[in-house]
Amino acid sequence: MVLALLSCSMGQAAATSKPATHTVTIEGMEFKASDLTVKAGDSIVWVNKDMFPHTVTSKADAFDSHQIEPGKSWTFRAAAKGEFPYMCSLHPTMQGTLRVK
Amino acid sequence: MKLSAIVIAGLLLAPAAGASAQGINDAQIASIVVTANQVDIDAGKLAQTQSSNGEVKKFANLMVTDHTGVNKSATALVTKLKVTPEDNATSQSLKSGGDTNLKTLKALNGAAFDKAYVDHEVAYHQAVIDAVDKTLIPNAKNAELKALLVKVRPAFVAHLEHAKHLQASLGGK
Repeated sequence: MVLALLSCSMGQAAATSKPATHTVTIEGMEFKASDLTVKAGDSIVWVNKDMFPHTVTSKADAFDSHQIEPGKSWTFRAAAKGEFPYMCSLHPTMQGTLRVK
Repeated sequence: MKLSAIVIAGLLLAPAAGASAQGINDAQIASIVVTANQVDIDAGKLAQTQSSNGEVKKFANLMVTDHTGVNKSATALVTKLKVTPEDNATSQSLKSGGDTNLKTLKALNGAAFDKAYVDHEVAYHQAVIDAVDKTLIPNAKNAELKALLVKVRPAFVAHLEHAKHLQASLGGK
């Protein structure tokens, strides 16, 4: 019983510490979701579903995908905690925020 | 600027409005979409070589890239749908309007070129958005063609905002 509980709680601990992968879709000149909260160590995949290139560019130089061609994606592993506003450097009206907790 | 906006709007909307009595068909819409993008690509290519303003060149690069991307998708869709783009009064007006604009721009250089190019981009994008809203989307029969128009609209709006921003910065000099 104790063992079962122990393994159960260990299993839970493993599940919560396992890094997750989140997807942000870039479509119709928008980041969806434009405001995303993840845990440190998680990965985020930005998928460009528009007909032309976009970028995922941190306003504080924390990350920069450079051009993501149509149909392509870019993956970023969020190591550092913090709030990271970003934009598309080609289309500055496109804005997003990545929150790493 | 105001006059050129009216002229472009007239070119784009009048023939389409005339045709909309019977409604323009998808083949005609496809032709309008491809021509509208091509006209802006051609103007952008001219600005890439003829402008010496970094911001104007950046905008021109974006126009060439984005409108080329849209045309690639539009062409892929019409090929898939087995629609042959059909020349019509609106696409012809767009083409001749584009040619006139190129001719005007080629005679200019420096700040005068930048102003004329950007002024035209503002008017042109506004006219294209109006055509998309009033003529192309309402008349598109095929769901995928309609979806493409809906999907591309925000890009034209962003281009318009970008061009207006540029216009204000050039005017302030």
